[in-house]
Formats: sequence, C-alpha cells, structure tokens
Amino acid sequence: MKMPAFVRLTMRNIVVNIDPGTLIFMLGLPTLYLFVMGFMFQGINPNGGLSVVYHGIPVKYTTFLAPGIIALQAFTAGNVGGSMLWSDRRWGMFEQIMVGPFRRSEYLLGIIFVSILFSLIGSAIMIGFAFTIPVQFNISLAGIGLFILTMIVGTMLFSSLFLIISGIAKSMQAYNTITILLFFLLDFASTAFYPITNSTPEWLRVVAGVNPLSFISDILRNSFISGVDSSSLYYSGILLVAMLIFFGISLRIYKNIRSGI
Amino acid sequence: MNDTGDDAYYIVMEDVRKSYDGKKMALDGLTFKVRKGEIYGLLGKNGAGKSTSIKIMTTLIGFDGGEGSISGYDIKTEASRIRRVIGVVQQEESFDFTSVENNFKLSGMLWEVPKKARKERMEELMDLFGLQEMRKKRMYDLSGGQKKRVQVAREFMHDMNVLFLDEPTVGLDPIMRRKILSYIRKRAREGLTVLFTTQNLEEADMICDRIGIINDGRIVAEGTSEELKTKFGTLRTLKLTATENMESVAAEIRKKLGEDQYEEIDISENRITILGKKIDRSLGDILETLAGMDISIDNVSIDNPTLDDVFMKVVQK
Repeated sequence: MKMPAFVRLTMRNIVVNIDPGTLIFMLGLPTLYLFVMGFMFQGINPNGGLSVVYHGIPVKYTTFLAPGIIALQAFTAGNVGGSMLWSDRRWGMFEQIMVGPFRRSEYLLGIIFVSILFSLIGSAIMIGFAFTIPVQFNISLAGIGLFILTMIVGTMLFSSLFLIISGIAKSMQAYNTITILLFFLLDFASTAFYPITNSTPEWLRVVAGVNPLSFISDILRNSFISGVDSSSLYYSGILLVAMLIFFGISLRIYKNIRSGI
Repeated sequence: MNDTGDDAYYIVMEDVRKSYDGKKMALDGLTFKVRKGEIYGLLGKNGAGKSTSIKIMTTLIGFDGGEGSISGYDIKTEASRIRRVIGVVQQEESFDFTSVENNFKLSGMLWEVPKKARKERMEELMDLFGLQEMRKKRMYDLSGGQKKRVQVAREFMHDMNVLFLDEPTVGLDPIMRRKILSYIRKRAREGLTVLFTTQNLEEADMICDRIGIINDGRIVAEGTSEELKTKFGTLRTLKLTATENMESVAAEIRKKLGEDQYEEIDISENRITILGKKIDRSLGDILETLAGMDISIDNVSIDNPTLDDVFMKVVQK
C-alpha cells in the first residue's frame, strides 16, 4: 500500500529530529524543571507544601507546576517543528524536497504532524513523571479530551510562530537570537511556572496575560486540578483564534519562500 | 503528451524568458533540446543563467515567457508530474541532519523505493562512491567533498528519466570525479537523460555528448565538443622547447613566417609558443629556421583548440 506523501515526510522528520540534542531540549529540560524547580520551590514554603491556591483549591506547588510543564511540551514541540523549516532551508533540504514528488502543503503537513506527535508523546511522558512526584490530579474524561485538544491547538500555534521566524530569518545568528529571546520570554513570563498574584508587577501580568503559554497552562490546570469549566472553554476559544491567526500568517510567509538561505 | 520513444526530446526549452526584477533578463530566449539518453553540458560564466535554467526546468521557479517540457511534461502545467521523474543534484550542499546511511534510507523512503531495493541500491551506491567507511558518520562531520559524494550518490536511490546536475564535481578529488563521471556516463548509456553544468571545461569535454554555451541568458553556441572546437576554436598552438636562447630564435621565426602566418608568439625561458590558425602548416619553415641557426630541439608539439579556447571566444564575443 502506498504511503501518502505527508506521512512519508512526517516519518522523515521524526528520523531527522530524533537526536540527543532535540530529546534533551524536549524532555530533559522540562523534566529538570519539574523535579528541580518543583521540589526547590515547594521546599521554600514552610506550610507543609500546600503553597498555591488555584481556583480556590489549595495545592502543592508541584501539582500547580506540573500542568505548566506539560504545557511546555506544546511550546518545545512547536519550536522543534517550526525550526525544521529553518533547518531544511539552512541545509538545502527544503529545495531538495520541493524538486521531489511533494507538494508544498504536504511538506507543511509533515511538519505540523510531527510537532503534534512530539507534543502529545512528550506531554504523556511528563504526565507520567508528574505522577511519580506525586501530584494531586483530578482527571475526568472531559479533562483528557480538553487536554488533547489544547495540546494540538497549542502546538500548532507555536509551530506557526516558529515557521514565521524560519521563513523570515535571513541568517543563522538572527534565527538563534530570536528563538532564544522568545524561549525566555514565553517560558518565564507566563503562568507555566508561577501563579499570578496581587504582588506580581502590572507589566508582567500583562505580558503573562497575553502569552499563549499561560492560556495552555491554565486550561491544563483546569483539566487536571479544578475541572473543566466555562473559563476553560473561553481560554480554548482565544487559543484557537490566536492559532488560526498565526497559522494564516505562517501560510502567507511559507507560500513565498523560494529557496535556501 | 509524454512521448517516451528513444528519439524523444526529454528536455525542451523554447524561447524561455525570465526576469527576477522586471528589468534585467536572467534568461532571454533560452532555447535548446536534449534527447533521451543524452548528456547535455550547459556551460557559462557565473551569472550567465545556468542555475536559473535548472530552477525553471526542475519547477522550483516560474518563468515569464516561452515554453518548456521535461520528459514530455509541460513545465507550466504539469510540474508535479515532472517532479516524479527527475533527479536533482543542487550546486549548494543539501543533506538531512543525520547519518550518511540515514540520508540514503530517507531518500529511498521519500521516493517510495521498495524496502528490499532500497537496501540493495544503498549498498551498491555506497560501494561505488566509496562511502562504506563513513556510513555511520553524521553528515555534518564530513568534508565538503565527502558531502558532495553523498549528495550525488543519494540521488541515484530513485528511478528517474532526467537528472539535473548543477556543478556536481566541485570539491571532489580527481579520482572520485572520474568515478562519478563514468557512472553518470554509464547511466546515460542505459537511457538516463542528463543535464550537466560545470565550470570545468575539461570535464564537460570528457562527459558531454553535446554542449550549449549560455551567455546573457541565451545559448550562444551549441554542438558536440568537436563541432564547437572546429567552429570556434580557430587557433592551434605550436610549442617548441630547446636549450638555446630563444629570444634570437623567436626573432628569426618572426622574420621567416611573416605576420600573416601567426597570431602571437610567446617566449618563456627555453620555450616558444606560437599561436596561429594554420600554424601546423608552418612547421616546415620553423624547423628550417632552427636548422639554419644550428639549434637542436628538445620537444615540438602541436595542440588542437580546447574547449577553453572555444568558451573564451564565445563568451567574449
């Protein structure tokens, strides 16, 4: 049986991206965050570790942190996926694939599929790690459904963001600088690691409030801790709209990419 | 129409025009045809339009006017069909960021080569291109020449009707270059149509059945290497080596021949190089002059025009 072109491209993307560097970036760093930051910050609180109140529910910091770390998988997988275009342009493979039996849309699908695959597998591994801490998750069927949808939409959003950067960056230095800056800004100026409180500076609240990673983190917290509610659906709607906008922009830029860097 | 008969033209470019900025023409009426199983060399100086032509023929970029077909498929309307029957070795390096072996496997997988054939072809190509020792190495760790070898070899993982080679031997050592060229020749004899660009004219002379010289976006000379040399390479070279002072010898030769029999006489230590359209016919007079001066000659040679001469003449017209 013939394999569709986008499946072959997805398989190629998996082989090319299964390397120690990518695995450390995708799984190693979040695992370190989960265990090191989780236990260190939890240790600060003298109050038996019940240090964060989320939607009125007091939880240990590790329980608060775990959904944020799982949400990070959407970001890292999106980064890995979006960066594939950059890498293919840099190493001449974009042009090589474009003169092969593939359509541009199939190449794009190959990137998006591998990003989503990495994201879902990575987040499943992180959930597994979280249970070893252990965390106090309250998982429902609706929660699992929303978690999967959120990871897919979130990954597509971040893939689109990095596709945009891959499409417009003119040099490796420019690409690396932009991605590192984004990595720090989106990672740490979000609610993935810390709750927003009254003592959080106003400007940082604004940044975290518009950061897509905050939306994903909070939807996952609702799914795993407080339960799916109207705010989950509201956040999901915003995330979906943001994803469609970014995806649209990335498509426009992608259509005009002609050759290597 | 996809005419695949043995006499079919597998590459047809007719009056193809292309401008990137709407002002300067990158291709300005490019016209040439290549038959099935033929190796066609596209020669030209930098910026003459070689890479633009390849990008158009491989459907990477569009063009403003004219017509073209590859393997019988129209470039404008049947691009996806063309991409299924061509192979391309780009001038720039191109590889998957993984091991040499994986690059072959992935190429086979992407082109839907059956698993068994994939493995057999990979081994055969690795043997042929001397890649066995480095099969586990990552592409990034290879030298430029090694990467080029993989890039060329990998393209033969899949079946194709037409192969575009954009300066495929840059960075290769002479032994590997000969091996690759003879493999390309073998494949062409089996029916593969090859379009080949190179800056190495000796290489083009060796491998190409026909050559087109492109200048300012159009073909300015075309034919077999011999035809081009006969048509454009008018000057033959006579070289004389002796142990004597050649200044006085040159003066005597100039006197004997007269200006209409030669174009240029060059003296370098104990060697005289004389360029002329029919300089071979003056050999008797030259030898007579030397005998008159009682000079013994170490070596005499007459060289035919080279493709270099043709190229220089055609592109500088």
